[in-house]
Amino acid sequence: MVIQHFNRRLHLYLGLALTPWMLLYAASSIPFSHGRFFDDLDKAKGQPNWIRRAELPYDFPVPQDDAQLRAFGARVMHAAGLDGAFGAYRQSPSQVNVYHHSVWKSTQVKYLIGEKKLVVEDARFRWDHMLTGFHTKGGFEQESWLHESWGLAVDLVSLGLILWVASGFYMWIPMRNLRRSGLYALTAGIASFVLLVWLL
Amino acid sequence: MKLLRRIHLYAGLFLAPWVLMYAISTIAMNHRELFREEATSNPQWQKRSESRFSGVLSTDASIDQRATTILAWLGQDGAYNARWQAQRGALVIQRQRLIDPLRITYTPSDGRVVVEGQPTRTSALLERMHRRRGFDRDQVADDIWAFIVDAFIVVMIFWVISGFILWWQMKVTRRIGFVFALGGLAIFAFFAAVL
Repeated sequence: MVIQHFNRRLHLYLGLALTPWMLLYAASSIPFSHGRFFDDLDKAKGQPNWIRRAELPYDFPVPQDDAQLRAFGARVMHAAGLDGAFGAYRQSPSQVNVYHHSVWKSTQVKYLIGEKKLVVEDARFRWDHMLTGFHTKGGFEQESWLHESWGLAVDLVSLGLILWVASGFYMWIPMRNLRRSGLYALTAGIASFVLLVWLL
Repeated sequence: MKLLRRIHLYAGLFLAPWVLMYAISTIAMNHRELFREEATSNPQWQKRSESRFSGVLSTDASIDQRATTILAWLGQDGAYNARWQAQRGALVIQRQRLIDPLRITYTPSDGRVVVEGQPTRTSALLERMHRRRGFDRDQVADDIWAFIVDAFIVVMIFWVISGFILWWQMKVTRRIGFVFALGGLAIFAFFAAVL
């Protein structure tokens, strides 16, 4: 009885604490699932996705080894006067892009190797991009305690969801009048999941 | 209130596999560094078979028409991504299967069709499931998956709303519930503001 009582409370309080993350992941999954709809909606506005902020002369050798690209990206960030989370990508043999992203704002710095210059562009704010950006935000790949804390929070939320499912099961099993109907729902869910994974 | 409890429970039981899949795959994706060794120690693509396409493909056919013809010939209909590699003079088709994705390379000059597969990796499978979306594809199974993902979104919001209503009925848990709800909100708001 004591365990069951504790389990009910755990299920409840866990759900309440996880609410903002559940709402974020639910809301941000809509533009993921219906990306084309949101893109078409935005295209109708006829506005550019990127707004040029600055151009700076820059000349520094790009490392051949992809493992060194992040250090190069940090140097470009510094040169562009930016600070925070970023990712560096080799766009083409003649261009490296460094993406600087926060929840509310994104900036890209293009290093045009042949032209020896940096082009800094800000992303036009879009709610769907803000949500999908927040959804995909990791943290452990960044070198700051703040981002690593977010990474840890994402891990804890994931573990919380697993615990939430487990505590839900533990609450359902003693409910004798709901055992059979619950079993139907559970079996239907597992069967649908397995079938779809096998078919897709 | 009884109906609310029942829907809360049955939706939870039905969607439990998806909740677990999304939770476990999130951890795997959040720690890609841990799985990098597993990824690089295995060769990316391994040849499974090689054959000659005996049919005729019109030179006017689009990339998608060519890809669907090759896939149908191989008995591999389903979700795919195809692109023409001009340098190699080959059509490369990524057959996006969840469990065993394939890369199919068709070279029109000699009719050669090479099918390659990847060694099974749990972390990659989890990531493919997490990222799978379906409404842009023509397959029924993809549409059903996409529909369940949409249903999952609705149910998640329903769990939150019904959870709040059920909590509010239990006067004894109101105070501690507030602490947890506000605690979660405060941590989330902090991160949303500073990240």
